[in-house]
Amino acid sequence: MAPAPVPAPNAPTPSAPASRARVLIVEDSATQAEIARVHVLQLGHAPEVVGSVAAARDWLRDARPDAVLLDIELPDGSGLDVLRALRAEGDDAAVIVVTANASINAAVEAMRAGATDFLVKPYARARLAVTLANALEKRALLAQLSRAQAQLGRDRFYGFIGASERMQAVYRTIENVAQSRASVFITGESGTGKELAAEAIHRASARSSRRFVALNCGAIPRDLLESEVFGHVKGAFTGAVADREGAAKLADGGTLFLDEIGEMPFAMQVKLLRFVQTGTFNPVGTAREERVDVRFVCATNRDPMLEVKAGRFREDLYYRLYVVPLELPPLRDRGEDVLLVARHFLAQFSREEKRNFRDFDAEAEAVLRAYAWPGNVRQLQNVIRNVVVLNDATTVTAAMLPPPLCSPPSAAPQSAPASAAGTGIESRDASQLPAEAAAGAAGAAAAPDLEEILPLALMEKRLILAALSRTGQDVQRAAVLLDISPSTIYRKLAQWKA
Amino acid sequence: MSGLAADLLADLPEADVRSILVLFGTDLDRLLPEVARAADAAEAEPFRRACHAIAGAAGAVGAAALEAASRHGMAIAKAEATRGALATAALAVAEAASTIRGEVASLLARLPQT
Repeated sequence: MAPAPVPAPNAPTPSAPASRARVLIVEDSATQAEIARVHVLQLGHAPEVVGSVAAARDWLRDARPDAVLLDIELPDGSGLDVLRALRAEGDDAAVIVVTANASINAAVEAMRAGATDFLVKPYARARLAVTLANALEKRALLAQLSRAQAQLGRDRFYGFIGASERMQAVYRTIENVAQSRASVFITGESGTGKELAAEAIHRASARSSRRFVALNCGAIPRDLLESEVFGHVKGAFTGAVADREGAAKLADGGTLFLDEIGEMPFAMQVKLLRFVQTGTFNPVGTAREERVDVRFVCATNRDPMLEVKAGRFREDLYYRLYVVPLELPPLRDRGEDVLLVARHFLAQFSREEKRNFRDFDAEAEAVLRAYAWPGNVRQLQNVIRNVVVLNDATTVTAAMLPPPLCSPPSAAPQSAPASAAGTGIESRDASQLPAEAAAGAAGAAAAPDLEEILPLALMEKRLILAALSRTGQDVQRAAVLLDISPSTIYRKLAQWKA
Repeated sequence: MSGLAADLLADLPEADVRSILVLFGTDLDRLLPEVARAADAAEAEPFRRACHAIAGAAGAVGAAALEAASRHGMAIAKAEATRGALATAALAVAEAASTIRGEVASLLARLPQT
């Protein structure tokens, strides 16, 4: 063969694809790998080369390519094994199978294994360019479609569970507002997930690498709130033995979530207004001004405008914070979400409590659907925890549901008062609880007298009942206060009832 | 366009074509002894794999005669696979490779050094 004449120097400039793709070349022949590498580079992408099935698997363990140029015949196996493994892991890389075998059978086998396209060797750069561009475009379109489908009917979102239309609207609002710096005012009944929504806004935002600091304005003694928000210096007040940073400083660059903001004392609202307006504050006990970059998210289970009209919440602060409202729907308005959420908790608690529950029977489902859930998701969570702790079977029956759920559906409340705290065990009737707890539910239970020394078991019982009383019979919150598991409280209650 | 590296030269800078041809020579250095060894040992599958690799590399640089000889070797390995048939096929591959090595050397001499 006579050597081909050298053509006029042809120095093609790299193409400029819409985006630089990471292209893995799986090819054992050094010559062919180099040709593919140079072509891919010339096309404006980033090539990586491996020469065997094992090397490809190793590479794919640590990295994700946008596209793969995959030789079939490799020294240690078939390239199709790499392809099948990729697809089995759900990897959506555009895979172009490259082979010298141009038979239909080879093409069909490759496409069945999940190949995006098929390229016959030897190939010119133009052919590779078109095939690669098409494969990458197809991948991008499929990803776009998948995202759109997920947005239309997703049932999970940053810790939320729910596929109802009401929750889809919540997810969309959170996504839309996350990238802005605008303050968000979350409203919704107790137990609807206001803190979860605040966290979702933070996690979906560009601030997610910094801290999310949550402060419950209703749970902090009034005289400590300013120090909790703005921090203090040593000696600012009795007990201030050292400088301490407040939530505002801790949330610098991140998100400050002020829960139950309606509970904030009026005098503190003035200081918060200045902070919101200027981004500056003075730690308690110093005239030194500090500046931070904080995104505010607030929440309340009251109607904020009514609070303004009643003179309990400053109007100017209201307008500063109420920039983007986000209303979380009560569980009773979320249709089939109640079963979705119930199944999620059933699986979670069964795992935690080593039970065998798999699902609900039809009657139990009907009861869960019919109940009004004044305590919303938190109440549902407590009910399912109660069922799992006190029973063991594969299916939850209606009889396992605690009162008032186990009453006929017609007896269940059909609507909840707007102010219902509805936090789980409060939905039981008093007969479900020991006498002390029932008294506590009426607001009469007191913390045990620490001067009086009683047998440990009795002290434990008194403490648990006092915690339940303090939290309005909210088992979850009582468990947090006591630093024990909610299931421990349920077990104790069942023991005492027996 | 046809002939050794003609398509590559149409698509790629000469410096890249040069490095590809050098790698092609390295591939041949590695694979031709394997073809000879497998033929001598009458090992059909290793013979076929080595011929397959040479055919792919030869096709990629436009070495048509070597590609054809290698593909014939692959067919022999799948069909007869006798020591004699493999030895004959190996000889044809070696001869074609020898010719193409000369063409590669000639082309490399005409391509500018980087």
